Amino acid sequence: MSTPSPSLEHEMHELAPHIRVARARACALLLILADALSVLAILAGGGYLSALNTENQFRTAANHPPAFLPGLVVAIALVLSGLAYYWWERRVLRNGGAGQRTFFVLAWVLMIVALVVQTWISIILNRAYTTPYSAYESVITLLMWFMAFKHLLAAILGLLLFGRIMRGRIAGHEYLAEASGYWWYYTVVASLLMWLFALGLT
Amino acid sequence: MSSTTVATARRPNLINSLFPSVVSGIVLGVIGAAIAGVIVNAATHGGNQDATVSAVFTGWLLFFFVGIGAFNGVVKWGFARRDATPAEELQLAGQGQGLWRYFRFTTDHKVVGMQYLATVLVLFFVGSMGAFLIRLEQSTPGAIYFNPATYNTIVGMHGILMIVAAIIMVSGPFGNFILPIMIGARDMAFPRLNALSYWLLFSAIPIFLSTLALGGFQTGWTGYAPLAVQGLTPGMDAYCFTIIVFGVSITLAAMNIVTTVLVMRTKGMTWGRLPIFVWGVVLSVILGLTAFPTFIMSQVMVLMDRVFQTSFFVASYGGSNWLYEHLFWFMGHPEVYVIALPAMAVAAEVTAVFTRKPLFGYRLLIGSLVGISVLSVIVWGHHLYLSGSENGLAAPFMLDTELISIPTGVFFLVLIGTLWRGRIWVTVPMLFVMGMLVNFVIGGITGIFLADLPTNEILHGGMFVTAHFHFTLVGSMVFGFFAGFYYWFPKMLGRRLDTTLGQFHFWLFEIGFLGTFLSLFYAGLLGEPRWSANIAPPFATANLIASLFTILIAASVFVLVYNVVITLVRGELATSNEWGAKTLEWTVPTPVPLENFEHLPEVKSLPYDYGSPVPAAERGVPATEGGVAGAPLQAKPQVES
Repeated sequence: MSTPSPSLEHEMHELAPHIRVARARACALLLILADALSVLAILAGGGYLSALNTENQFRTAANHPPAFLPGLVVAIALVLSGLAYYWWERRVLRNGGAGQRTFFVLAWVLMIVALVVQTWISIILNRAYTTPYSAYESVITLLMWFMAFKHLLAAILGLLLFGRIMRGRIAGHEYLAEASGYWWYYTVVASLLMWLFALGLT
Repeated sequence: MSSTTVATARRPNLINSLFPSVVSGIVLGVIGAAIAGVIVNAATHGGNQDATVSAVFTGWLLFFFVGIGAFNGVVKWGFARRDATPAEELQLAGQGQGLWRYFRFTTDHKVVGMQYLATVLVLFFVGSMGAFLIRLEQSTPGAIYFNPATYNTIVGMHGILMIVAAIIMVSGPFGNFILPIMIGARDMAFPRLNALSYWLLFSAIPIFLSTLALGGFQTGWTGYAPLAVQGLTPGMDAYCFTIIVFGVSITLAAMNIVTTVLVMRTKGMTWGRLPIFVWGVVLSVILGLTAFPTFIMSQVMVLMDRVFQTSFFVASYGGSNWLYEHLFWFMGHPEVYVIALPAMAVAAEVTAVFTRKPLFGYRLLIGSLVGISVLSVIVWGHHLYLSGSENGLAAPFMLDTELISIPTGVFFLVLIGTLWRGRIWVTVPMLFVMGMLVNFVIGGITGIFLADLPTNEILHGGMFVTAHFHFTLVGSMVFGFFAGFYYWFPKMLGRRLDTTLGQFHFWLFEIGFLGTFLSLFYAGLLGEPRWSANIAPPFATANLIASLFTILIAASVFVLVYNVVITLVRGELATSNEWGAKTLEWTVPTPVPLENFEHLPEVKSLPYDYGSPVPAAERGVPATEGGVAGAPLQAKPQVES
């Protein structure tokens, strides 16, 4: 087999910029689709068990919901994180990769705050519940830890983006800020939905 | 220094070869598993076996992927000073690494396709051994070889192993190796994600096999809760972990394949010119992408019930088994079509090539595949007819289940229309398509009896169901896989499989299959129940006949293995366009160069516009003339003399 010349090899390897952008967007959206269906499965499962209320044991008087105020702190942190990310992303897209770092750091720190508080809520809650958990406690436990897991994923994404920002590798790859933003905003919205569902579950 | 020189100048040594590779992955994975197990066992004072086992599996997964180098790219993505150079990417794609590239985190889609192919064949082999053990046990009345618990574990392992293998059997090997070339791409959209999806599958295999050492699982392949929750052995944890890891693997693969087809198609490869195989795979993985999240969550819930004593499925604490059934079958029925769609598409692809005719009703077939995809999502309730759910739901589920027979009928219409007045070239792939048509008719028609509530009430839970889904999944879809296997083998491995042995494989398989499962249909009509190690005397004859015919299937497996082995050792070299086909994969040389195309081709027509019954290659015409512009990496494809 003949060996291609180095310049040709480079040309072969490179993807057109519009393909890079489209593939990042598509990947983020498909990931969101798959994850949203997981969230939907939990919410539908919780609602289904609540509606069935098997042997009137779905939720007993002793089963309490997750603490409201810490949950509110998480919700506020998430919303602010989403807004800060949006601010940073707009600047990046407008200025060819040079956004205001402070806003990204703020978004990332707020996501970490949400992760820490959410983990704390889940631990406290599980200490309060006694085993075996009722179905209500089971659903709440799953929701709380799933939210924490989502915050963890977003925080890891933030860490990687932070690394790229520090290395100056967002310029020329602005679409990364946009596609990562899809996941960031989705994390905020999905977590808020799960929190509201947990509050409303009876 | 040029990038090529840089890539080849690195002198490989033992350390560079082993780290990272599957060897370092396994070593680190075992160490990680041991450490995690010891820590959790100490933390729970040895009182929670399920937690310890779960920690072992988690440790294995995490450290295996560290060891195989899966996180290297992620870390570099975030923290490296620059993007990977083309030379580094080619190194990661396995350039100059020989056979060892198959044992590393290699990103080349062809390597991943071959890894999937080897894995599928091994899984089929192991799964079929389970089937033979089942038939052995059921050859005469009375549990003579295994105790009921062992028998149940064998049935469960056979079932889930075959289902997993069937889900990936087409989309894994051919979807990775062939599909990117078919659409004129140099690789998948996300090569690292591609490697990750394969190695996730690989990492699930030891977890799955560990169930043998952990007491097995007695639930059968469906893993029904609350039995799964009440099961005493941690073998059930292995089942749950396997499904979760496999589900993640499938999801990543699906994202990658869909993105690849969305954005990597070459110039002129419009949606209306996509080969039907690409349509089948894309629709299948989209269906998988929507179906598997619920299955993953169902297994997360089962694990939580077992490890943390939650009560999703325990009625006395407000849980319900119905929740599991809904979550499971919301995946379970679409999963049949996740398996079916690409196999049906392979059959259509192969039929067009070997009848030398345009595919009859190309757009109609796309419509039927889309129709099947949409309908399959809303039929899961027919698995719950007799579970005590609301009667009012039965009619709608019955109706939409039966509606699926319309687009499925279109598939038969398209294939028969393509065969009609075609000059059929009866090759081994074509034999398997013929077998598929025969078996699929039987599987489809018997499905109508199970879709109808009145007959379902009689046949449910019996051998009739077993025979039906084997006709659908094995007789139809696995036959479709083998059509693709014989069709693309020369392109993937560069050698021709022996035709006589291939024909022998087909006839043994078809006769053995028909004999086995027609007998089981008869046993089912007599009233034989499923899930019983012991067979009652009235069903003895039918079961004995079924078991005897299984010997033919076993023989066919060994013929296939022999054929593959002798072909790899001393098989005839294949030409670049072995069948005179017009899709793009046949325009590139065999073996396919690392980045497939020197210049990306431009597509100007459908790949099925056959005007001549004689293969282009046989007439000495370069394959690139078939409506496709663009040059393969070598000067011209080889021409058959």
